Amino acid sequence: MASETNVVEADALGDEIAELEEQIAATKKQLKIQASTIIASIPSQSLVKESSRSRSKNNKKLLKGLQGQETHQQQCLHRICNPVTAFKVHDPDPNAVDDGHVLGLRFEVMSRSQFLKPYYVMLNRPYSKFSALRVHRHTLPSAIPLAGLAARHLPAPKPEDGNPPLQDLDQFVRTLRREIIRYHNRLGISADLRRALGLHQVTEEDTEPTSIVEVGIADIEAKQIKLTWADERHGRLVMDDDGKVTKFSVFGVDGRDWETTKSLFDRPQRIEEVVEKLKQSSTS
Amino acid sequence: MARLSVPNTARLPSSVRVDASTSAVVKSLNRLTRESLISLALDWLDESAFPNSTPFLRARMSEEEEEEDNDEDSEDIYPPARTVEDLRQLYEDMRQQKGSKRDVVSRILEGDWRHGLTLYQLAMADFAYLDEHPTSQKWNAYQILPLQKPSHTEDEQLLKVDKESLQAPRFHPSTFLQNLQDQVLPDVKAHYHFHRLQEFPLLLLRIFVIDSPYNSALALSSLDQSGTVTNFDASRTVYLAFPDGSPSIYTTKSQGTGSAGTGESRSLQNLIIDGVPKALSRPMERYTVKSTGITTRNLTALLDMKGPGRGNAAGGGWSIYSDEKNKQSPLDAMLPTPPGSREQSASTSSRKRGAPLTQSQRDRKRARAAAQSRFGDSASISDGKGIERFEVVLQDPFPVTSRNLPALEENQEEDSEDGETQGRINRRRSKVESVLQQAVQDIDDMDDVNEVDTSSSHWTPMLKVTFSGPHVFAGIRQLVEAGIIDGKRMPGWMTGEETVTKGVVHRGRIRGYKGSGI
Repeated sequence: MASETNVVEADALGDEIAELEEQIAATKKQLKIQASTIIASIPSQSLVKESSRSRSKNNKKLLKGLQGQETHQQQCLHRICNPVTAFKVHDPDPNAVDDGHVLGLRFEVMSRSQFLKPYYVMLNRPYSKFSALRVHRHTLPSAIPLAGLAARHLPAPKPEDGNPPLQDLDQFVRTLRREIIRYHNRLGISADLRRALGLHQVTEEDTEPTSIVEVGIADIEAKQIKLTWADERHGRLVMDDDGKVTKFSVFGVDGRDWETTKSLFDRPQRIEEVVEKLKQSSTS
Repeated sequence: MARLSVPNTARLPSSVRVDASTSAVVKSLNRLTRESLISLALDWLDESAFPNSTPFLRARMSEEEEEEDNDEDSEDIYPPARTVEDLRQLYEDMRQQKGSKRDVVSRILEGDWRHGLTLYQLAMADFAYLDEHPTSQKWNAYQILPLQKPSHTEDEQLLKVDKESLQAPRFHPSTFLQNLQDQVLPDVKAHYHFHRLQEFPLLLLRIFVIDSPYNSALALSSLDQSGTVTNFDASRTVYLAFPDGSPSIYTTKSQGTGSAGTGESRSLQNLIIDGVPKALSRPMERYTVKSTGITTRNLTALLDMKGPGRGNAAGGGWSIYSDEKNKQSPLDAMLPTPPGSREQSASTSSRKRGAPLTQSQRDRKRARAAAQSRFGDSASISDGKGIERFEVVLQDPFPVTSRNLPALEENQEEDSEDGETQGRINRRRSKVESVLQQAVQDIDDMDDVNEVDTSSSHWTPMLKVTFSGPHVFAGIRQLVEAGIIDGKRMPGWMTGEETVTKGVVHRGRIRGYKGSGI
């Protein structure tokens, strides 16, 4: 009997401890948010700076926190205003080239008015005679032709060559960012289409034969969109780099469906226009 | 008179039956669990699969025969069902009941499909096994690279990889299959089956190859006209996997069901690897495949290292940049916590409570921090991305400088068979170190990727190090955390940041910048 009550008590205590720990974590997070908000406000900043003459321990800590907050805010401001920001990284590998100096590039991507996780490209200088850059690490998806762009704009010098080829970091970054944004826009188009057709939530009952039931990306670069209608027609849409639809075809059960193809796509046009037509044809 | 069968290059149709008593058929069913066998049988009875997996039904017999058969029915353990619905119901009932796996296997082989399983059914059985055991195959990863466009001035030229190309190869399953079929010689017949695994974003292609000129049931007949050769036993199976959104391809080594020679299976492997780029290519758009030096059984790890995500060229400690969870929006005004700070805060609170840390505790903490800084959040034992084998060949000259010392010491630990050389190495190190340190430093100073190795005069043994275990890099991380490996001086390739499983180490780095793939 006694042991049973003990177990029950221990369980209750354990629950209580877990609950309290949760509270502590929540409060700590709250405290952090409040602290950073207070320290970031201009009046409090000026207050801290004014009282910086008194060299108490607390004051030093406050100043340090203020400095950290200021640099962080500056970094955030740069990241908000510039789509590409650079930073310095130290390669922890003891055998790293160039004493582990690495130039990091941060490419911001946005989707539906939110910042996504940025893409990173790390460059180092492995050549002793030249200060040429080379891609060291990156977090880009395979759809971005990084290798091709690097070969075009950051050509590697050859040791026998007297004057190495010129590297154009600026152009490299520009074209790379362009490719990233294009890729994300293409991804966004198919996501928009899916959302507009109401495919993100599964509904079984209201499937008319003319409605599109499936929208998918069909290739690596997200340049092709695969469409499936409820009556087993399927179509393929091909766009070029700039989002212009170049090819569009619909196949029915018995061969090509020229009518639907013509009604949706009669001349080269923007992907957005085709998406609009698809929406109308699917909902009507 | 026998029907005339003309050898051609067509593929084997899915509806070709294999005798149900063939040992390979029995084996491939026996390795499945009871549940998956039943669901497989139900899949075969589905309308869409029906033409390729027709069961043995009573309705086939004429009525007269049926009356005669009535006597035999008592002896038949599995009397044939009348309709497909009956069979479906039967298997549904079996799913509810408990029973042994053997019952289901014998019911399939001796009852409902006693006239043989089709190639389609065998392919589905193999994929069901792969769904259950995703690590049962060893995968090699290849990268698909574009080739330069042939110029019209030269006729016979070896096409080079077009490094400046911005194209990504496009994969279309049916076109690919058609082109691949064109590469197959007429004296070999193959059966193809596409499948999507449940948990992985991959499209799998199973290629089942038989040495036979016929594309009818003759190809699979267990007894040839001469009465000796069994074709089915000489068959081989190869899997190709196409990851979604990544210009790479994974293959397995071919597996023979019978006693096919290893040389033969390798030539088939090469044949397929040669055929794949041709099948992917289109007019004015040619591709080649290049080995990436990744071989693993773990598909999750493979998709992480050569897949559609961010981790292709940012392994090891660099994974903090590719980690999707760690999302830092610039609109978030809160100061980010630098990595490793959580442990620090935990330790400060403990210090407040208790006595100051002892030396060993402090060392432990430092080792942990070093591991965190080198591995980031990667290489934890529970992340399911473990590779089981990591091989490197060290091409560095032997003299041990303070920089690559830990690497070599580690090698000694791993290569337990070289235990007796350790004493010699220590002696040699002390003698040669002072002389050669300068030379090595000179090499380091003019460090250049393109430069020829000038240190050939120094003793450079061929040293191959193989790490093996369930999760190699998690193991190395644990050694760092335990303080056995010095985390600060450990070479970068030991963290797995190059995202390869095979490589050549030169000047402490894996040659060829495997990770960035450039």
